[in-house]
Amino acid sequence: MPDKPSDLIQGTLEMLILKTLALEPMHGYGIALRIEQISNGVFRVNPGSLFPALTRLERAARIRAEWRATENNRRAKYYLLTDRGRKALKEETQQWGRQLAAITSILEA
Amino acid sequence: MPLLQNLISGIKSLLHNEQRSRDMEEELRSFEEASAEEKIRNGVSPHEAHRAARIEMGSLETVKQKVRSTTWESTAESIWQDLRYAVRMLRGSPGFTLIAIASLALGIGANTIIFTLAKGVLLDRLAVPQPNQVRLFAIIRDRRTSPLHSFWGDFYRTPDGRSITHSFSYPVYQLLRQQNLANPALEDLFAFKDLLGQRLTATIDGHADTVSGQLVSGNFYQQLGVQPALGRAIQPSDDTTPGSGPVAVISDGLWARLFGRSPSVIGKTIQLNLIPITIVGVNPPGFTGAASVQISPDVFLPFSMQPTLIPDRKGSLLENPNEWWMSIMGRARPGVSNEAVRSAFAVWLEQDIRATVPVRKNESMPDLVIESGSQGLAAATHDYAAPIYVLSALTGFVLLLACANLANLLLARSAARQREMSVRLALGASRPRVLRQLLTESLLLSSLGGIAGFALGYLGRNIIPHLLSTAWHPAPFYARFDLRIFAFAAAVSIVTGILFGLAPAWLATRTDVNTSLKDAASSATRRRKGLAGRSIVVLQVALSMLLVVGAGLFARSLINLNATSLGFDPHNLLLFAIQAPPARYPAPQDIALHQRIEERLAQVPGVQSVTLIENPLISHNRSNITFLPTGQPKPTGDEQDRDVNGVGQSFFETYRIPILYGRSFGPTDTATSPLVAVINQSLAHTVYPNIDPVGKTFTSNRHQGDHEAIYQIIGVSADAKYDALQEDPPPTFYTLYRQSKEEQFITYTIKTQLSPAAILPALRNAVQSIDKDLPLRDIRTQTEQIEASISQQRLFATLTAGFGILALVLACIGIYGIMAYNVARRTNEIGVRMALGARARQVLFMVLGESSWLAIVGVTAGLIAAVALSRFIGSMLYGLKPADPTTLIAATLILLAVAVAAAYGPARRASHIDPMQALRHE
Repeated sequence: MPDKPSDLIQGTLEMLILKTLALEPMHGYGIALRIEQISNGVFRVNPGSLFPALTRLERAARIRAEWRATENNRRAKYYLLTDRGRKALKEETQQWGRQLAAITSILEA
Repeated sequence: MPLLQNLISGIKSLLHNEQRSRDMEEELRSFEEASAEEKIRNGVSPHEAHRAARIEMGSLETVKQKVRSTTWESTAESIWQDLRYAVRMLRGSPGFTLIAIASLALGIGANTIIFTLAKGVLLDRLAVPQPNQVRLFAIIRDRRTSPLHSFWGDFYRTPDGRSITHSFSYPVYQLLRQQNLANPALEDLFAFKDLLGQRLTATIDGHADTVSGQLVSGNFYQQLGVQPALGRAIQPSDDTTPGSGPVAVISDGLWARLFGRSPSVIGKTIQLNLIPITIVGVNPPGFTGAASVQISPDVFLPFSMQPTLIPDRKGSLLENPNEWWMSIMGRARPGVSNEAVRSAFAVWLEQDIRATVPVRKNESMPDLVIESGSQGLAAATHDYAAPIYVLSALTGFVLLLACANLANLLLARSAARQREMSVRLALGASRPRVLRQLLTESLLLSSLGGIAGFALGYLGRNIIPHLLSTAWHPAPFYARFDLRIFAFAAAVSIVTGILFGLAPAWLATRTDVNTSLKDAASSATRRRKGLAGRSIVVLQVALSMLLVVGAGLFARSLINLNATSLGFDPHNLLLFAIQAPPARYPAPQDIALHQRIEERLAQVPGVQSVTLIENPLISHNRSNITFLPTGQPKPTGDEQDRDVNGVGQSFFETYRIPILYGRSFGPTDTATSPLVAVINQSLAHTVYPNIDPVGKTFTSNRHQGDHEAIYQIIGVSADAKYDALQEDPPPTFYTLYRQSKEEQFITYTIKTQLSPAAILPALRNAVQSIDKDLPLRDIRTQTEQIEASISQQRLFATLTAGFGILALVLACIGIYGIMAYNVARRTNEIGVRMALGARARQVLFMVLGESSWLAIVGVTAGLIAAVALSRFIGSMLYGLKPADPTTLIAATLILLAVAVAAAYGPARRASHIDPMQALRHE
């Protein structure tokens, strides 16, 4: 069951992660929390989809990871946006905008 | 860049698997803790918060699995797992593994060997730049109405009974070349002549050897685009006037064989047929000339040397318009279609023929064909294409049979492993995953078989060329191993693995988990599985039937050939050739020389009789020439020509061919006495149906261009085979060699009770006492000569017999396997039958009956296929029809016997089942 909603945002999840990381480097939970907060709780990202997405992005060299200390002095893996990731985010945002506009105009026709 | 990075990080994570797993665990835990802390901050009790966080996370392992499955290395890892598991499974049943690998190795090895041959004969191209541009000229003529009569070279019968050849006359070549230069249809024409049968005597630093040669035109190297590895090529200036180019380019092979690859060979003068020739260049290693793609002639000489080097009895071939002997090639010009080339040259050819030879009213022009010259003369293709297709098909059947056998064994195994599969499926393995596991196993098997087969193919690559060669003639081709052969073996292995692995794997995963777990491999799925196994056995029997029938047909052909009546006595005959070098013995001194040798040899102790012979019997050589009976209407076309052989005085005595009427040649028939001839019975029947031919005369231009030479028939001999075992004795006449004007090559036949080794030294001494530079060449006995002429038939009989036996063994294993398996499954049922009163004999016959049914269905299918396919080998058989009833009946009986024998073991076991035990058995 929990797979179903995340399937729906399969493609967009990676874009949302990139967007989140564009603001500042963050660890896994931070990303999940930020997405949930900004979307006002519409998108809940569970670890089962978050971490595979992170691995995919890392493999595509859009983000890279490093171990850092958290604000309460714990070790956590932080993810950083790379130049390639920044470019990908820009392209995907534009594409998303186009698709959205197209869908909206179809729905309003 | 990301791809490379992906690869590197994948390999890193494979290498540091543990580390990666720990990292991920730590990351997930920190996620969980952060989540719990967030909840606590929002006012949830610590206990509740941790619980909720854990629920959110779910199973750590599941998440880790999901993360892992996003990367390529996880697939690699699971394939590696499958592979290790497969290795364990195969090591668990070494007997099965061994049988599987051995049968695959035989199948794949045989196919590799045949493919190596097929590639050499059918695929290899001339080693020149852009071989596909090269065009080769051929003519098709009607033998009865053609104005061209005298050919020296290859020719083949076309399906409509005409004759195709690649031979042209030198004057016509010159005219065609000029016409093409004036109006180019092809690039400049060039020409060559492979001196196949006529090997040259090479004297190098006082040591005599024989070499093979090719005459080439001055522009040959230039047009083919071949640069010599050392020195220079033959140039147009070498080929201007007769004798202008006493130069040779030697092959890489000869350079290594006789000169140890010494660069000082350039400029060295050697003697060929006692003519001094200067070596000017060495060919690159791969270059084989224009005639063959397989074997290079040893020396390449310009055409200008023909009149001095290999003088012909008809004078210089360069000026002779009647002798058609040389092959013409030209490279295609861009933008000129083949048809345009053909029609242009067809017009010129007709003009040139009319300009050079007399054409009578009722004679028709030959048709010109422009063939691809990329494979040279492709004589090998013409001669060996059909046998190679047949061999490929046979080895293909053997491999198919090995596949069927393995499929059968795997099927039985998969039934035994049904529980394992059900457990895997029940534990959540997906069907593709299980299929992959099973296919991994069969591919591993087939790869191992493929490796073994490839090794076998490599070791055996020269077996067939070796079987087709003789002590006095090199193999007609040899096997070049290259990457394409490896690719072939690899492809065959993979296809095989899929072929025999897929069906059993498919059936194994089709089981319904519930049924098969519950009923523990008993009767529920028996019918379906049984059907698959049985149809495979039927296929095996049918394939075996095909191979056994093939073996039978070829074996019977060979027996027929060996039993065929020759018309002469081949025993205790020793053959060797002596060439009188024309430089030292210009005609007619060569005749005098041979006469002296003949007389000297006759005096050697142990020699019963000596004869000379122009064309040794059963050597695929024959001559024919005009035979025009005096006082009879002149025959037309090829009817004018009859087979002829030049022989010595004691020919009929030496070969034990009876003289039926008249007399044999005698001491009174000398070089200066009137010309005489002996004709055989067939010729007597054909030309002189109702009259006594003895004393009659005929004219023949056998006497070196003297068309009006009159021969008198002095006797009629019994028929004897001439050039081939497969053909009936042709109408033939025999002339006395010492009454001809010139005889360069001649074979001596010695009748002796001594062994060749015992008498050869004395014979050699006798010849060398006359001229120490005359080697005895091509020494063999007449029996060896006959054996060699049917080496291809023997090869087929041997190979197909081997395949047939292999097929029977595999069929045996197949039938035994399926019956043993059936009996084991039906133990319970048989127990019930016996408890209800069935007797042991009845059970025995029930099982035997079942296997007989399988065999009968298979044999019937095999019979139909055999009758349908055997017509393709019809031309390769001798003395029997393709649908030979004896062979078909024998094969049927053999296969039925094998089926019953293979099933006897399991049937006996079934009949000895103890009902009490059987009923307790599951």
